[in-house]
Amino acid sequence: MADGIQLARAASVAALATEGVHSMGRGRYVEAATYEGSEKVSGVVVGAEDLEIHIVADYPLPRPIPEIAENIRERIAPQAGGRRTRVVVEDLEVAEDERL
Amino acid sequence: MILLFAGLFVLGVYTVVYSFDLFDRSLTALPISDFSDGLQDFVTRVENGNLSAITIVTLVLLAILGLIWFIAELRPSTPRRVRMGNGTYLTRGVVEEEVSAVAEQVPDVLGSSVGVRARRSPGARVDLEARVRRGEDLETIRSGLRTRVQEHLSGRGVPVSKLNVKLVEADPRQTTTRVQ
Repeated sequence: MADGIQLARAASVAALATEGVHSMGRGRYVEAATYEGSEKVSGVVVGAEDLEIHIVADYPLPRPIPEIAENIRERIAPQAGGRRTRVVVEDLEVAEDERL
Repeated sequence: MILLFAGLFVLGVYTVVYSFDLFDRSLTALPISDFSDGLQDFVTRVENGNLSAITIVTLVLLAILGLIWFIAELRPSTPRRVRMGNGTYLTRGVVEEEVSAVAEQVPDVLGSSVGVRARRSPGARVDLEARVRRGEDLETIRSGLRTRVQEHLSGRGVPVSKLNVKLVEADPRQTTTRVQ
């Protein structure tokens, strides 16, 4: 089981490796990040009992959002140590040719 | 807010100055005797049950207003994010983009504006306003648009608990979003 910044790093890597995730979110009203020392991991908030992962999804979505979220949860579950994982889709990144 | 804090600060300074009789200022010197006498008289009439009907009605209305305000404050605020269930959330902007994108794929729609409200239960309330040409069959367009949006969102796994579709007839030359 990872803790703090390690878990945040692992969650970020797991999320970015998931199909349909464009990048990590930064939080819309409050910055979503985990800090430790001089290191900062954006898009992941590690709590004592929960883990919040903020993502920006690709558009068009390759899969339904619940599937993307579930996939992220599955990837991070071994390191999450039983924390309740919440996935927040903050934005959509539109593929370049979509708006042409 | 800054003005409010500034006002409270100034009021605090005056309260301290007058309470401790600083700089030859005293509470007894304040011209509030008329007000305090009036207040005392009012309280005495309340204690004696000697109030006019209008005053009683006003007090009852104030009490009801206070109760409504109190209950409103106890209600939890509307969430900012749309809950999808099972620990997945979407910002309202994401839902707006999805709805707007699909609405503007409908040939009859010249432009659209979308409002999304998150709810405490899973799903969002979506208010879609679509601009269409004058003289079109609005009911057919509304029904087709509603079906299209619902199918699209359902396919994306975005739950919508309520979808309001409003059609506004507009001149295609004046629609800024798109002219088809």
